Formats: sequence, structure tokens, C-alpha cells
Amino acid sequence: MKYRKYALLVSVLLVSLSLLSLGTRGGAAGRPDDFVAAFLTPLEATLAKIQRSALGIWTAYRDWKNVRRENQTLRAEVERLRIQSLQVEETHRENLRLRRLLALRDRLPLSALAGEVIAKEWGGWVRSVTVNLGRNDGIARLTPAIVPEGLLGRVVKVRARAAVIQLLNDPASAVSVMVQRTRTAGVAEGEPGGAVRLKFMARDGGGVQVGDLIVTSGLGGVFPKGLPVGRVTAVEDKGSALFHYALLAPVTDFARVEEVLLLTEQTGADLFPHFLSPPES
Amino acid sequence: MRGLFALMLLGGGLAQTSVAPALRIGGVAPDIPLILTVLLGLRRGPEVGCLSGFAVGLLQDVAAGGFVGAQALTKALVGFTCGLIGERLWVSNPLVQVSGLVLLTFAEGLSRYWLLQLFHFPAPFGDLMLHVVLPQALYNGFLGAATVLTLTVAESWRGISPWR
Repeated sequence: MKYRKYALLVSVLLVSLSLLSLGTRGGAAGRPDDFVAAFLTPLEATLAKIQRSALGIWTAYRDWKNVRRENQTLRAEVERLRIQSLQVEETHRENLRLRRLLALRDRLPLSALAGEVIAKEWGGWVRSVTVNLGRNDGIARLTPAIVPEGLLGRVVKVRARAAVIQLLNDPASAVSVMVQRTRTAGVAEGEPGGAVRLKFMARDGGGVQVGDLIVTSGLGGVFPKGLPVGRVTAVEDKGSALFHYALLAPVTDFARVEEVLLLTEQTGADLFPHFLSPPES
Repeated sequence: MRGLFALMLLGGGLAQTSVAPALRIGGVAPDIPLILTVLLGLRRGPEVGCLSGFAVGLLQDVAAGGFVGAQALTKALVGFTCGLIGERLWVSNPLVQVSGLVLLTFAEGLSRYWLLQLFHFPAPFGDLMLHVVLPQALYNGFLGAATVLTLTVAESWRGISPWR
């Protein structure tokens, strides 16, 4: 029993050496390795198939992971490009707006400062915008504010580096205007609902019609003459009233204003012809 | 139990032609049947080690198409030696097992080379040791360490003492 393991070892070694001897002689029929290979080969083939399948699954998994990673990278890239595109578009629009504003400033026969809207008050009580120009820039109270489309309002509060502009449709706003076609004078007032109403226009000989352009009259010494204010959208017949009343659609989209021109000089000239130039595209 | 052994040996022998190539690092593949032989020898004694080494070595010889009996002989020797070592020494320390595995792989390579010299094997000794046997011994050491650690953890979870 004690020597069993050594006997086993010797036997194994002898068998191995016999196999080696038989194998290296060559050409012997029924070689032992052929015998072993006879049942080993099918197993190897099966195993190779399993391995290939496993490898296929692994490769597919790796491909999927790569595709997923690539997909995430591409999504991030698309997102980045989309933001970039929006920024470019925004810059382009801003550029167009500024070019129109500066073109108007160049056309006007009086000095004007371009300012940027930094705040908006859009409640029913007050309608105003704040721009980044103030006392330090030479802005005074009642300075008219315009945009390339026409009149925006007037400065009602001046601070060191900012000014608050009362919009045309502010309930407290009243501007002396006239019908551009007939030169009939009246007053454009803002209403709490946000509309602009034309009031106190002489009924006799006024002849105001829907579609008429209303411009500033230059009376009162605040606004220069000829600044477009709005177009008549409806004429209200108040029977035997002495005056015409009409509803205006302002030429300026107050909600979208981002840059303004503040007229720092007064002029007696009619500015309307300067607004007739086609906007630059 | 014998069936399980047979399955392990067959699996180990076949793993060398299927799994080992996928584990190649820098052209060096581990000798999975040898690792199996060493672990079985250490755990189950010289007889099991010897027979296991013979079986997996024979499978390797046949599968590789080389000298049939060469690896059967050397691995049988390795398995037997491991069994003897396991009977006499305290080998539960993974570091001992890993370094033992490296040394035994190297010894197996040497013995195989000397054996094959009897049959006029042409490869130069230095190249064979430097490019095949030594890197494989190191690789076996690392793979053996991973295997031993895995087995130890698995068996401690199951509450089985890994060593006799």
C-alpha cells in the first residue's frame, strides 16, 4: 500500500514512454494517438463551435457597447452643434437688428444713442422697458426712444447707468400724433389692456380710415415730427361726438424690442422720410 | 466524484485548445492543464495528481499533434510531485502556491525539453526557455493565483475547508 503511489507513477511513466516510442516510430498502423484522437476530435469540434458562438455573442456585445458609446458621443455632438447653430442664428438675428438700428441712426439728421434693453415691465399698470443708457451717457428725462419700425416711447426715469422708457401703450402715455395722409392731429393714448387708441381727432374734415398710418405730429416739443406710431385698425363712430376715435395697431412690437435708439437732440424736421428706407436684410 | 474528476480533466485538457488561445498576452498562453494538475495534486495527493497529469497531458499531446506521451509523462511527474509536496508541507498560503506553480511550470518545461532531446527535438534550449517556458511559468503563476483566490473565496462562502 505504501508503494502504491510509486507503482502508479512508474506505470504512468512507462505508458508515457511507450506512447512516445510508438508515436515516434511512425507509420505504425493503429497508432495510439489516433485512437485517442478518435473521440477527442468531435469534442474539440463541438467546443470550437461553442467557443465561436460565445465569441460571436461577445463580439456582438462589444459592438453594441461601441455603438452605444458612439451613439452617446454623436448625441452629445448633435446637441452641441444644435446649441452652436442656435447661437449662430441668434447672433445673425442680433446682427440684422443692430444693422437696421445703426442704419436708421445714420440716416437720421440728429444725434442718437443706441441702447440695449436690460429689463421689461409688462404688467397692466405700467408698461416700460429699461435700457443700459443713463445720465452718464447724457440721457435726459422725456428723451424719445425709437426703433427701426417707429416710435417706442419716452424716457420717464433716468438713473446713472440706466433709463426707464414708458412705452407707447402704457396707460399713462399720451402722444401728440397726426394722420400721415390727411395731417389731421389727435392724441394717441395707451390703455390698460395694452391697446393704443387714437382720440380727440377733429371729426369734420378728419377723414380717418382703416389702414391709415399715424405719425407723431411734433407738437408738444417732446417727439420730433414724422415718427411712425401705428396704423388704424378700427374707427369708432360715437354718433354726434365732436371727435374721431380709432384703434391703432402700433408699428412696434413692444414685446420683442431688444435694442433702441434714444434721440438726444431735437429737430423741427419731419423724420418720416427716413423711415421709408427699406429695412436691410 | 470520479465523474467530476473526469469532467474536470477533460474540460482542462480541452480548455488548452479553446480558452487558452483567447487568453494570450504577447504571444504567451497559459498552460491551463498544468495549473489544474498542480491544484489537484496539492489538494488530492500524489496518485490523483499523477493520474490527472497523465490524463490532461495525454489530451494535450493528442490535441496539439506533437509527441504523444511527452506531456503525459512530464505532467504526471508534476502532479505526483505536487501531491508529495502537499502531503509534507503546509501549502495553504496562496503565495506558496503561486511561486510553486511558477517553479513547477519551469521544471515541467525543463523535463519536457530533456525528454524530447531523447527524440532529437530541434529547438535550442536558450530560446525555448527564454521565449516559451519562462513567460509561461510567470503567466501560470498569475493565473494560478487568481484561480486559487477564487477557489478560496468560493469555498469559504460555502464553508468548505479548501485544503486537506
